[in-house]
Amino acid sequence: MTMKSTLTKILLFAALVLLVGLADVPAAVRDSNLYWAPECVTVGGQKTDSLLNFIFYLTGSVFLLTQTVYIYYLVKYRKRPGSKAYYSHGNNKLEFVWTAIPTAIFIGLVIYSNRLWNEFHSEPPADAIKIDIVGYQFGWDMRYPGADGKLGKVDTKLYSQDNKFALVPDDTSGSDDFSSTELVIPVGKPVHIYLHSRDVIHSFYVPQFRIYQAAVPGRTIAWVWFQTIKTGEFQLACSQICGSGHYNMKAPIRVVTPEEFEKWQAGKIAAKAQETKTTSTPVSPAIIAQRNLAEQQP
Amino acid sequence: MSTSVTNFVPSEDASAHHEEHHHQNFFFTYIWSVDHKMIGLQYLWTSFVFLLLGGLLAMGIRYQLAYPGTEVPLIGRLLPATVASDGIILPGGYNMLFTMHATVMVFLVVMPLLIGGFGNYLIPLKIGAGDMAFPTLNAMSYWLYVVSGLVILASFFVGGGAASSGWTAYAPLSSTPAYNNGTQIGQSLWCIGLFINGLSSIAGATNYITTIINMRAPGMTMFRLPLSVWALFITAWLLLLAVPVLSAAAAMLFCDLNVGTTFFAAQGGQPLLWQHLFWFFGHPEVYIMILPAMGLVSEILPVFARKPIFGYKAMVWAMVAIGFLGFVVWGHHMFVSGMNLTLGAAFSVSTMIIAVPSAIKTFNWMGTVWRGSITFTTPMLFALAFVSMFVIGGLSGIFMASTPVDLFVHNSYFIVAHIHYVLFGGSLFGAFAAIYFWYPKMFGRMMNPTLGQIHFFTVFIFFNLTFFPMHNLGLGGMMRRIADPTAYDHLRALQPMNVFVSWAAFGMGLSTLIFLWNFIWSIRHGKPAGKNPWDSTTLEWTVPSPPGHGNFDQTPIVYNGPYEYSVPGMQKDFLPQNEKAPEGARLELH
Repeated sequence: MTMKSTLTKILLFAALVLLVGLADVPAAVRDSNLYWAPECVTVGGQKTDSLLNFIFYLTGSVFLLTQTVYIYYLVKYRKRPGSKAYYSHGNNKLEFVWTAIPTAIFIGLVIYSNRLWNEFHSEPPADAIKIDIVGYQFGWDMRYPGADGKLGKVDTKLYSQDNKFALVPDDTSGSDDFSSTELVIPVGKPVHIYLHSRDVIHSFYVPQFRIYQAAVPGRTIAWVWFQTIKTGEFQLACSQICGSGHYNMKAPIRVVTPEEFEKWQAGKIAAKAQETKTTSTPVSPAIIAQRNLAEQQP
Repeated sequence: MSTSVTNFVPSEDASAHHEEHHHQNFFFTYIWSVDHKMIGLQYLWTSFVFLLLGGLLAMGIRYQLAYPGTEVPLIGRLLPATVASDGIILPGGYNMLFTMHATVMVFLVVMPLLIGGFGNYLIPLKIGAGDMAFPTLNAMSYWLYVVSGLVILASFFVGGGAASSGWTAYAPLSSTPAYNNGTQIGQSLWCIGLFINGLSSIAGATNYITTIINMRAPGMTMFRLPLSVWALFITAWLLLLAVPVLSAAAAMLFCDLNVGTTFFAAQGGQPLLWQHLFWFFGHPEVYIMILPAMGLVSEILPVFARKPIFGYKAMVWAMVAIGFLGFVVWGHHMFVSGMNLTLGAAFSVSTMIIAVPSAIKTFNWMGTVWRGSITFTTPMLFALAFVSMFVIGGLSGIFMASTPVDLFVHNSYFIVAHIHYVLFGGSLFGAFAAIYFWYPKMFGRMMNPTLGQIHFFTVFIFFNLTFFPMHNLGLGGMMRRIADPTAYDHLRALQPMNVFVSWAAFGMGLSTLIFLWNFIWSIRHGKPAGKNPWDSTTLEWTVPSPPGHGNFDQTPIVYNGPYEYSVPGMQKDFLPQNEKAPEGARLELH
């Protein structure tokens, strides 16, 4: 048996195993687009996908090209009776070429990447909805601004049982902020998130948004903002090992129409006002008066 | 058994001759040996034990991901209470499995196998020296490695269980026991284990550097060194400069855990400091694990292509470049960690640049097989596969080096696929190639070629079936280090793929048994190898197999570079380094 026929048989066998292996995966999975990334629902995510696809085609062609040449060499230059290897220690021209070409490609890629990276982290639009997202073992709390549209200031030293959001007591803009255990977002509106953690490092990860960002205890991560393009229900996942409950540290996300969002927001603001009235939080009478005034307005 | 190791084989003249002078008892031959070859073998055997253990941990991980919440068959009830209850793996126990799998594989398998095993065995033989510069330090560094392994293993059986914060041990999860099921003792033992392991690495590195600089045979100039020695030389420098940083970080973490310091605490310290220290070690570490494999493969390809290595100097300078650049890319592990964004952009540039020398090496390997006369022996198959797998691992790295894409795939299964293509398809395939290649030198007998080929094809196929789909799992949004992928809606649909990957992994686990059987069986039953079974040029093949104590009867004199194959005008197709070129040989000066 020659080496060539052995090699051919082996390659055929490998192909067969791969095919049978893939056929084994149920049809439901094959049809669900799960061999690639899940549906993308943010403006930035689409740009990431273009870059991802670009790199995929680039690396894919490099792979196919090099491997085709490589396997061709292996078959062509296998040992045969009377064959003799060519004596050569290399070629400096070739060395130069295959140093210069990858370098040029990588420089191009890094320019493309950095441009997008800077775009993602540019100043968020002024009308962006601000949401404070706090990770803890093992769940998430969200805080939205109240009627004043302002999020109260945070001092990460102040996290406690009574102060879940570490609000600075003398910053009055925080007293009307309302909390939520689900992340509700109006479709099409820019959303600017502030990431915090109460204990260990967690991470905000939503594959459909194409966003991962760690939340570091003791710090405010204030540079993540995004804009959705589609309504739907998703899950916020923690993607940084954070302890025994890590695998299940999730929160529901709802991307809704602006109307639905306003309705939900109004309900939350009203409930918060009710709660503030009945509890004896030390808020100055002037602020309560102001808030009542705001409530009466349509 | 109280005779020298050379009795394993039909002894050749020189080894028998040496035996008379160096007849030592069992303890000094096998336990506290100061012979670099015995120490190399000790490293090899010990790392096999840990390889089995780390592999079993991986099997546990794959079982849990395929069938979360079900009883582990056969061994489930034997697992420590901190890992499993009623045979079902606990989420916290799962965290221990992957933490220890990575810790064992990185510090107790790949490093000791490639650097400890092959570094010790090959460096003196290849440079024409009788032993290492500091033989006793060498023995000490092996035993420190054993102690570090035992300390790390012991942590499974202490209160709270083993470390479970990932092998990267991000603070404050790792530094505050209250956050992590009280794994204070386990995490502390992890710190101590890595510290001791670090001492072993630093001692070894000092020894390698000194040996290579001072003990080369006459005529063995730096540019006549075989590439494996160059690779180990650069690796030793990386170890010497990077490992102390990890040791310091481990000591600081130990203090945070036990004496109330707050180096890495959110208040009074800085959690990101840990990541900077860890990855300042951790990225050179990646090259510490791949460079020796690159060197060993560069040694094997020319032998079975019967051609000089293509671009010897380019290979050397590429490795030197990797060595330097390896220290300025650590931040690419931290693009989305909360680190300054401009810094992220800078690290993205350096990361793309470090890919260039790797590309150069790949092209030179391809240039080596070009117009060769190739035989597909088992070591060659592994070496050839190494190149392809390294290409996949390298190309998938480009995705993560691009910051916006990292924003999506960070900490997903994509990165798990990437690291295993580099570390398993790369480092371990390189190690397998090296084992099949130098086994005849170590034991005087050949490993069985049929079993070797079966091992190669099973591990190659199952490796790809295991790790390639992980790219898809990662793009599908599967996070790393989650104990139960069915907890998320978008991952439930991916579950069949997880089951598939797990069965492929079990197949890969079984294929390793073929290898171990072949390794052990061939010690007594393999075909006798003789001095130079592969018709190779480097100095270790000029002495008996296995070489006697002191390696060379006379210090060899080196006349040629390490890869003079198929020189025109010569009768035989290879020119050993210590032979003068015969009349009429047309050597190319390069």
